[in-house]
Amino acid sequence: MIGYYISLALRSLRSTPILSALMVAAIAVGVGASMTVLTLNYMMSQNALEHKDDVLFAVQLDSWDVNKAYDNANEIPWQLTYKDAQALLRSDIPTHQVAMHRYGFTVELEDSAIRPYTADIRVTTRDFFSLFDVPFIYGGTWEKTADGSPMQVVVLSKATNEKLFSGENSVGKTVVLNSQPFTVIGVIDTWEPSPKIYDVNNSSFAEVESLFVPFGLHRKLEIYSWGNTNGWDSGEEGEGYEGFLQSESVWIQFWVELSDSEQKAGYESFLTAYIQGQKDQGRFERPLKFALSKPSEWLVLNEVLSDDNRVLGWVSLAFLLVCVINAVALLLAKFLRKAPEAGVRRALGASRNAIFTQHLIESSTIGILGGIAGILLAFMGISGIRYLAMGQLDTVARIDWVMVAAAIGLALIASLLAGLYPAWRISRTNPSIYLKTQ
Amino acid sequence: MLKMHNVRKSFRTDTIETHALRDFSLEVKEGEFVSVTGPSGSGKTTFLNIAGLLETPTGGQYLLDSEDVSNLNDRQRSRLRNEKIGFIFQGFNLIPDLNLFDNIDVPLRYRGFNAKERRKRIEKVLEQVGLSARAKHLPAQLSGGQQQRVAIARALAGEPRFLLADEPTGNLDSLMARQVMELLEFINEWGTTIVMVTHDPELARRAHRNIQIVDGQVCDLRTLTEQPEAATA
Repeated sequence: MIGYYISLALRSLRSTPILSALMVAAIAVGVGASMTVLTLNYMMSQNALEHKDDVLFAVQLDSWDVNKAYDNANEIPWQLTYKDAQALLRSDIPTHQVAMHRYGFTVELEDSAIRPYTADIRVTTRDFFSLFDVPFIYGGTWEKTADGSPMQVVVLSKATNEKLFSGENSVGKTVVLNSQPFTVIGVIDTWEPSPKIYDVNNSSFAEVESLFVPFGLHRKLEIYSWGNTNGWDSGEEGEGYEGFLQSESVWIQFWVELSDSEQKAGYESFLTAYIQGQKDQGRFERPLKFALSKPSEWLVLNEVLSDDNRVLGWVSLAFLLVCVINAVALLLAKFLRKAPEAGVRRALGASRNAIFTQHLIESSTIGILGGIAGILLAFMGISGIRYLAMGQLDTVARIDWVMVAAAIGLALIASLLAGLYPAWRISRTNPSIYLKTQ
Repeated sequence: MLKMHNVRKSFRTDTIETHALRDFSLEVKEGEFVSVTGPSGSGKTTFLNIAGLLETPTGGQYLLDSEDVSNLNDRQRSRLRNEKIGFIFQGFNLIPDLNLFDNIDVPLRYRGFNAKERRKRIEKVLEQVGLSARAKHLPAQLSGGQQQRVAIARALAGEPRFLLADEPTGNLDSLMARQVMELLEFINEWGTTIVMVTHDPELARRAHRNIQIVDGQVCDLRTLTEQPEAATA
């Protein structure tokens, strides 16, 4: 009978094309709007490091102004000072540890027709690739010595390797960065963590950097940060670049991999001892405080999915509810107009349940059509957001199969909810009224 | 076939209670053709709705084929209606956007017949009512008489033992009315029990038996077989 009901539903929709189109549109607009927002929220809520959530930790130290706490949720600066980062790097407790920040270089090739261009760079220690599970196509990361002394080597992203070397194995070749020759020692495969969890300070949804260079280059190339640099102390660390490196400005992001609770406890003791030592030297004047946050905690702490997004999610669902209520009214009008036919069917042997099921399938058909149209609208909405965000949201503003299935499910639930009352009403009408008066 | 004993039916609104049938008792035997007459509002249609299991009586007993159907649930009544009862209405009540074939198909779908069986039955009844060539036509493309013949075909497709007709010729001119009446008589001769509500005294006389309903009660019974001159008038 289900096939029969579906054929009746399609016939009914064809018989009232304008009303049917209005109902499909009501569901489609509601689903499209809510799916656009929910897709963004869903993608923003992803944790690319979920598989290492128990072993990776973002490190925060409270080196801030004694008179005023840092202005964030846990009142500890997001980033470390350069000198603290260098001190922590000397620990041999973590399995892996990464000190890093965002930067930019002018990129060019010698004797090449490729015009120089500016690219995002990550200045990092060598463990970046192993700590965040970054896959390599060619070569690998640099030697540990490059983290402390200047070595002009570079790891390219896959896209950069394709741009500069047509995707060939470029290990050993030379790239010119800010007029300095760098030797390619590795090329990573496509890697798009979203949100960009290792650097949520500088746009959570930006693309991964194009090139990676060693942390030991700072003094030689006088590398500053292209990300946030926050300071509170205009002290006497000295002039020039060395003064910046020794200042209380925080601009280095720091992650560690601690494989078990024992290792973590050991590292916490190390941090406590380090801060105590610094206190003895007149630094860290605030109460002793540091934080080791798992990736999942880090995303929440940094409000990657903001309260505004959550509110917008609820607003979009409320809008869907309004659309459903509209669909209820339209369905009720349509079904009650067909009450005489239902009366005839009842007289010919249809039970109330049969009439109810027939009409619920009709509303489900509207829901499926509305869901499909809603997905198209959501694609348009997402495309619009990508366009308006000018590339900033490319990694999250996209619909995957989970969200397509969710859209169909949402439309089905919406249409079933919309159809329940009208279908119930028509199944309860007294057929004899319509048989006499039709 | 049909036996009602002291059946009552009342409709209640906020302020008033209307008794449509009061202590209504009637027996219709297998193979009978019974006409039901009476003034407007006397309870004829209510009787027909209860007989056709479209409404439940407020009280009393209703036996259909010796089975007490007074207190069946909706699903049981729907099944019985589908298997044993055929309906013919004054307004034909064909579904306008279904062609003749699909209109006749409706009760067979609810019966659960397979496609082959449904097609066989539909083609058979369409031939019986002389409309085989019009199977793909929509009801609006037919005359009133033809529409009523389709309605009769739809009622017959399930091979019911009991046919309920509510003013079957009320919307037809005299020629078409006569054709429809002859068709009903033919069906009755083949063994189907028919109860027909009508305002037309001539049609009422052509039945085996006429029942008068006044104020919700049977007030007069005439066995037309005892008055052969009336039956042939």
